[in-house]
Amino acid sequence: MTDILTLVFRTLSSQTGQNKDPTAGPPPPAPRSKILVVGEHRLSRSVLLLAAVTAASELGVRVAFFAQSQIQSLPECLQRCIATQNPEGLKKITFSYPRTLEELLQQVASLHESPCPPSLIIIDRLDGFLRGAVAGSHVGFHSGDESRAAHLAALLCDTAAFLTEVLEKRGSSSAPCRAIASFLSDADSGQESRDPSATDSILDVLDRYFQARCTLDRDRSYEAAAAAAQEAWHVYLSGTKIPDDLEDGPALAQEWKLFIFPEGLMEFKLV
Amino acid sequence: MRTFLPAVAEQLFRDIQKIYEETTQTLTLPSSRLRRLKFVFGTCALQALDLVDQRSVTCLSSPSGRKAFQVIGGSGRLYTCFLSCHYCPCPAFTYTVLRRNQGLLCKHILAVYLCQAMAVTQQESVSDQQMSAVLSGTGGP
Repeated sequence: MTDILTLVFRTLSSQTGQNKDPTAGPPPPAPRSKILVVGEHRLSRSVLLLAAVTAASELGVRVAFFAQSQIQSLPECLQRCIATQNPEGLKKITFSYPRTLEELLQQVASLHESPCPPSLIIIDRLDGFLRGAVAGSHVGFHSGDESRAAHLAALLCDTAAFLTEVLEKRGSSSAPCRAIASFLSDADSGQESRDPSATDSILDVLDRYFQARCTLDRDRSYEAAAAAAQEAWHVYLSGTKIPDDLEDGPALAQEWKLFIFPEGLMEFKLV
Repeated sequence: MRTFLPAVAEQLFRDIQKIYEETTQTLTLPSSRLRRLKFVFGTCALQALDLVDQRSVTCLSSPSGRKAFQVIGGSGRLYTCFLSCHYCPCPAFTYTVLRRNQGLLCKHILAVYLCQAMAVTQQESVSDQQMSAVLSGTGGP
């Protein structure tokens, strides 16, 4: 999954803005197939949509996109990308809108029944599903939600592992099956949790199942203004070492800068 | 089960599997392996062995090829565990493993590993729809 995200970032990077040669330095760590995007919801949803469109149109893989709330519009930069890319690829994305955690579990659990399984499973706003059945609920996390979070994350991992086997047996170039989900903590949303320690415990649980994390952190320094951008963000890709990494190679640690311009365009820059 | 376990635990299961493959008549775990099991997994080791003795672990499989484990707990309740990662809906997994990070796994997951190593896992076929219900926690055979 980190390979898809890196592809997204490179596709939307300025050709003249790179201050690092991506081919220089030590060999990159092995891509992670399960990644958790943590940060402000508006941006994380854009990142997920970019990943879905990139995977479908550039890599030609089937995507299953789950969200609790309907997607009303695509980010501006995505609309421009779609105009220039193969629109047929977008037909490979299936959007589903389960209303509750139970519905989401049922839909993810039944992916193995599909004759054309996805190679990328995306879940937008895990926190919304875990927090309650009502979208936009202001109820914070309860400490008992660890089991629910673990069930969903484990089901997602097990489903991705099974679909990887299916794709590999078919000789498909779409293998492995990747998974990406977004999560917004109560602290980041400004909402108060009934149990202040509950939110971190949910993230701890999710970290057990996701191999890597993409953290979106707003940059409130002068950099946005200096770049004539409306917003600037730090994007950190991080993860512990996995067996597929080179023994002497680095663990996953990559930093990007994201500039969002007034017209909605997004530009990534490798730091 | 693709493992999230330390190398010492993986080696222990491989040793146990080798013992049972070489001496199919033996139903008792050698004391040396038992001591290692208790050292690595603590109190849940004996509880897991009780579940193994009771043949409490079943591997469900469906026509799509999807599989899952079901374990009958001491209270008679059914717990569904996954093939490729550690999860169990039992309170011990939630409290000891997830919340306190004081254990590698619960007795149900350990029983799965042991039954696989000792080749005493029951087998059961279910439909794809039943498998989906089992995996989602909304139903089961």
